[in-house]
Formats: sequence, C-alpha cells, structure tokens
Amino acid sequence: MAEAAAPLLDVRDLKTHFKTEGGLFRAVDGISFQVHRGRTLGIVGESGCGKSVTSLSIMGLVPQPPGIRAGGEILFEGEDLLKKRPAELRRIRGGEISMIFQEPMTSLNPVFTVGDQITEAITAHLPLGAAAARERAIAMLRRVRIPSPERRIDDYPHQMSGGMRQRVMIAMALACEPKLLIADEPTTALDVTIQAQILDLMRTLRDETGTSIILITHDLGVIAELADEVVVMYAGKIVESASVKALFADPQHPYTIGLMGSIPKLDEQRTRLASIEGTVPPPFALPEGCRFNPRCPFADDRCRREQPPLRTLRDGHAVACWKAPLEEAA
Amino acid sequence: MASDPITAPAYTGKDPSRPILKVEGLVKHFPVTSGIIMSKQVGAVKAVDDISFELRRGETLALVGESGCGKSTTGRLVLRLLERTAGRVEVDGEDIFGLDRQALRRKRRDMQIIFQDPYASLNPRMTVGDVLAEPLRVHRVASGAAIQARVEELLGVVGLAPYHAQRYPHEFSGGQRQRIGIARALAVNPKLIVCDEPVSALDVSIQAQVVNLLQDLQAKYGLSYLFIAHDLAVVKHISDRVAVMYLGKIVELADKGTLYANPRHPYTQALLSAIPVADPEVPHGRGIIQGDVPSPLNPPPGCRFHTRCPHARERCKIEEPAFREFAPGHQLACHFAEEIAIPDTVRARQATQISDAYRRRLAAYESQQQRRRTAAEETTA
Repeated sequence: MAEAAAPLLDVRDLKTHFKTEGGLFRAVDGISFQVHRGRTLGIVGESGCGKSVTSLSIMGLVPQPPGIRAGGEILFEGEDLLKKRPAELRRIRGGEISMIFQEPMTSLNPVFTVGDQITEAITAHLPLGAAAARERAIAMLRRVRIPSPERRIDDYPHQMSGGMRQRVMIAMALACEPKLLIADEPTTALDVTIQAQILDLMRTLRDETGTSIILITHDLGVIAELADEVVVMYAGKIVESASVKALFADPQHPYTIGLMGSIPKLDEQRTRLASIEGTVPPPFALPEGCRFNPRCPFADDRCRREQPPLRTLRDGHAVACWKAPLEEAA
Repeated sequence: MASDPITAPAYTGKDPSRPILKVEGLVKHFPVTSGIIMSKQVGAVKAVDDISFELRRGETLALVGESGCGKSTTGRLVLRLLERTAGRVEVDGEDIFGLDRQALRRKRRDMQIIFQDPYASLNPRMTVGDVLAEPLRVHRVASGAAIQARVEELLGVVGLAPYHAQRYPHEFSGGQRQRIGIARALAVNPKLIVCDEPVSALDVSIQAQVVNLLQDLQAKYGLSYLFIAHDLAVVKHISDRVAVMYLGKIVELADKGTLYANPRHPYTQALLSAIPVADPEVPHGRGIIQGDVPSPLNPPPGCRFHTRCPHARERCKIEEPAFREFAPGHQLACHFAEEIAIPDTVRARQATQISDAYRRRLAAYESQQQRRRTAAEETTA
C-alpha cells in the first residue's frame, strides 16, 4: 500500500516534552509516521498516550514553555514545520493544514455568528473580498449539509445543536481547501446517530476533495469506519502501525490485543470482557524498558530492561514488542 | 440496633417473584417559567412522559437512548431524588412516593446509585475511608470498630487495598474512583442499584475492568441493576433486557437477544445501524437517520420519532402509537412495526469478522494473564 510518491506529511522521531514542577514529562517520545495524499491515518490510544500532543505539535500549537521541542522533524511537503517562523506557520495553519476539535462549543466563539467565523478563516488565507468570502462560506455550509445555509450563516453557535456545530467546524476547516485535516476526537461528544452522520460526511468530503486526514480517537470502531492506516500509541510511543485491515486481521502488540478485547462486540457473547490490568503509568514515572511491561501478561526481564524498537514484520506492518508474534511467546 | 452480617447477600425480600422495581405511568415535567418577579409557567419540558417497566430481582435492565431522552431523569425518579409529576414507583413492593422523610431515608438502604462522573461525585475533602464510612453511620449499618472493618472489606470487594482508606479522591485514577463510587453504593447492602452511565467517562481498557467488576458483584450479592447508558455494545454485554427511550418515551423493550437480533422499532434499528463497529470490512454509511433530536419542550405531535423516521406515514403525524405487546416479552410503540423489515445494516453490524490470528492471540493473552494472576496469588498466600 506504500505510495511511490513522497508522503504529504513525514514525521520523523518527533519528541515533545513538557517541563513541569513534577519533572520532565515525555508526552511524545520519538515517534515516526507518514501521511500520504488522499489517505486517512488513524491515531488510536487512551488518555495520556500522547495522541493529542502529537497533533498539537504538527500544528505548532504546543505552548513553549512548558513545552519543549526535544527533537525530530515534521516534514510537510518536504519542509520542516519545526523550523518555520511564526508568521509562516500562521499561513500554513488554517490554510494548508487545519484542525477540528472534540468540543465544537468551546472552539467556536459564542459572540460571533458562525458566518463571521468562517469568513474570517477564508479572508485570512485567500484573496477574497467580504462578499465573495460570504458566498464561499454559504457554499461550505451547504456542502456540510446544513439546511438553508443562507439563513443559518447568521446564527450564533448557541442556536445550533451539537451536530450542527461540528458541521460548522468542518466547514470552517475545509473552507480554504487544506491539504491536511487533523480531526481530534471529532465525534466523541456526539450522540450515536449524529456521530454516524458526521463520519459519513467526513468520508464523503474526503472522497470529493482528496484531503488527507489525521484522525485521532480512542474508539477502534471509528478507526475501522474511516482510517486507511493506523498507529496505536501507548505512553508517548507508537506500539504498532499497520493498514487498518492488517491491524484488525492480524493484531500483534499485546496492548492492541487487550484494547480490542476490552470492547464488547455486538455479535459475540462473552461472559467476561478481556481487560488490561492496572492503569496507564503516571507521566513522571514511566517504567524502564517497554512502557507497557507493568500491564503486559507476557513481560519478562528483557521487557523490563530494554525498550523494544518498532520493527517491520512485513510491508507496512510494524510492532514494538520483543514477544511478537505472541503465539510463540505463550 | 443489630447490624447486618457484613457480607449478607442483598436479597431479603419475601416474595422472590415480585419485581424489585415496578414503574407505572411515570411522568416528569419540568416547568419552564418566564419573568423573575411575576414568574409564570410558559411551558414544560416533558423529560419523562408516561413510562412503565419492571425490573426483576437479580436482573439488569438497561435504559438506552441519546442525550435528552429522559433516561437519567428516570434513574433519579426511581430513587426519588426528584419528585414525580404523576405515576407510581414501587421498590420491593413499597410505593416510594408515599413514604415520609423518615421512611424514605430507611428505604434508601435498599436503593443506591453509581454516578457517571467519579470526579464530581466524591467529596475532594474527605478521605476514601470517610466517604465509605458515611453511609454506614447514616444508616446505622455499623458502628465503632466495625466501621473500619467494613470499610476495608468494601475496598477489598472492589479491588482496592486497605491502605487506600487514608487517601483522598484526587490521588486516584478515573477507574479507581469509579471503584470507590461502587464501594460507596454497596456499603449499605442495597437490593437495587441505579448505574447512571457508570463507564462512559472511562478509557476503554478501564471500562472493561469496571464492567467485569459490576458483573461479579451482581453474581455475588444478587444485585438488581437499572443500567443507564448510551453505548449499545456495553449494554448488550451487561444487560438481560433493554428499554430504548426517545424523547421521554420508551419506544421498545425486549430481552437483549430479541432487541439486538429482531429490533422492530425504526428508532432502535437506526441506533443499531449507527454504532461504529471495530471491523473495517463492515459496509458503512448506510441506514443513517438524518436530522437532530427535537426539543423535549415541544415534542412533535403523534409519534415523537416521525420527524426522523424513514417509514413515517400520515397516521404517525396525528396519532401517538400505544406502547403495546408486539410478541410475548417484546413491547414497542409503533403503528407499523409488523410491516417494517429489519435493515441489512443491523445484521451486518452483528456479523463482524473476527480473525483467527486475533482470536488465537487473545486466547494466549488471557491464559497468560490468568497464569500470572494465579502465580501472584500463590506468592502472597
């Protein structure tokens, strides 16, 4: 599945740390992945795994201090975003790379109409006058299937439902035809029927526009619906990366397997769910060796001592585990 | 005052066939007022509007639905944490709205609640030991040294250690805090526990731990759960019967096998078609209902679901469908349930492919986990 063309985004050994009173927090600690044109990369993991810090690092939105760029490169169309000046980043942000967040109510300004907010994004990045920008904003609202957009454009965010607000966020993010869209838990705050509508909309828009997407979520179901490739993160590291089909057909890392076993399935009648014992390690007390070792049923002395590298098993499928494949370890 | 034996099973009812909870025609309208000084009522939010159901002893009945459907309001009415507008709630044969303050307080020993947000439902200035001792004192379940013994026992029951009693809630993770919430509910040996979205705020791996704990406790103490949730996969895993709510009404109620395999209300079908399933081979993006849930302040006339229902006809806009028996043990509120076919999307989502490789590795994972657990028990013993 690897494209011959250069990837749109190439993240190499990214490290984002935070200096805090409790010590150094290595939130993202040496991760590498690629996003190809027109494809969707899913990043999945639980709270504190570093998935949101990864997206904020790409956007250049990690406050410094306390954030520290501890290393690595973020190559967007071959240019390192970590080396850009703030003015250049502002041009890229919202223009070529844009982002939608989990909670649309807190990311929309309550005292401006949604039209004001979408046209602001448009005029900041495109050479359009006020009237043309408004036209474009209406067209975008129509595109995200908001009924009677000519009227709704003058609504304030509080006049809209949660699903509508998320549609507005998507309209705003796509208004300047970005090459890359980062969606951080875009449907987590929504009800299940609305979530299905938004996922369907994102899929349609992706197919229409060819925008690449980084989809960040804790929900493997959402990953299966939308992603082409997946990376699984745990405590600031990538533990497994694969195409979405390979990940579900052939999961390798004990964490991936425990995570899949923790989800109740609609068609399977198990009396008990598989579980991952214990909790995610606190950020200042990351274990030696493999970071998953205190919770891993397969862990041995080597796992407690040496950090496993992310090694490729076959084309496009990599895992960071000394014990993979597990059937031989058991 | 004789205190209960510490680990007595909760079940002490006289007639085992009598449901632990019986709800009849329950209604809750919240008034909407206008004006500050000369305030007058201008409308009502019909949060719960004439619902009836029973919860049997030792059973888990799930109430599912989207935001604003009235499921949490129902949970609070059942414990009389809210006053009703009309209707009747019997807990173990006693009408709880007919009780005076004293009697209600006594009754609360039988009925407890676990909240969604373990961060907000624990007092940050009380140690976990105090949190757990409070219900024991209030209900005079234990006194003196027996309190500490009971607190330690409760911590053990939910998988925490005795030394955790001295800690404060902020020192715990989300999953551990939910365990404390569960221990608090168990303190007084209740018969009925309302679980209000107990795992929604937790990470997936922690969710599984808490779901397993709730099931173990039910088996051990014969608890009855009213399980309020929006996640249909979790509900299918934990419950015996499921009631689907939409805008203050129960639209379908059946045992879970029937509800998931043979959903007959179009809203239940829509919910089951909408769940993202962890299988990339399942076709997606079909059978999605459009639009938002209407406001409960002015619910649509006739069938409340008709504005979003793909099968709606004229009759649905005028006449409210009765909540009727569709088949034995399967109730629903739809005029045309007999004529509506079950969409393919519902079936497709329940026939996901589980690969052999995953199955093998999960088995290895679990047997290895079990082996370590046994070894750990042997070393501590």
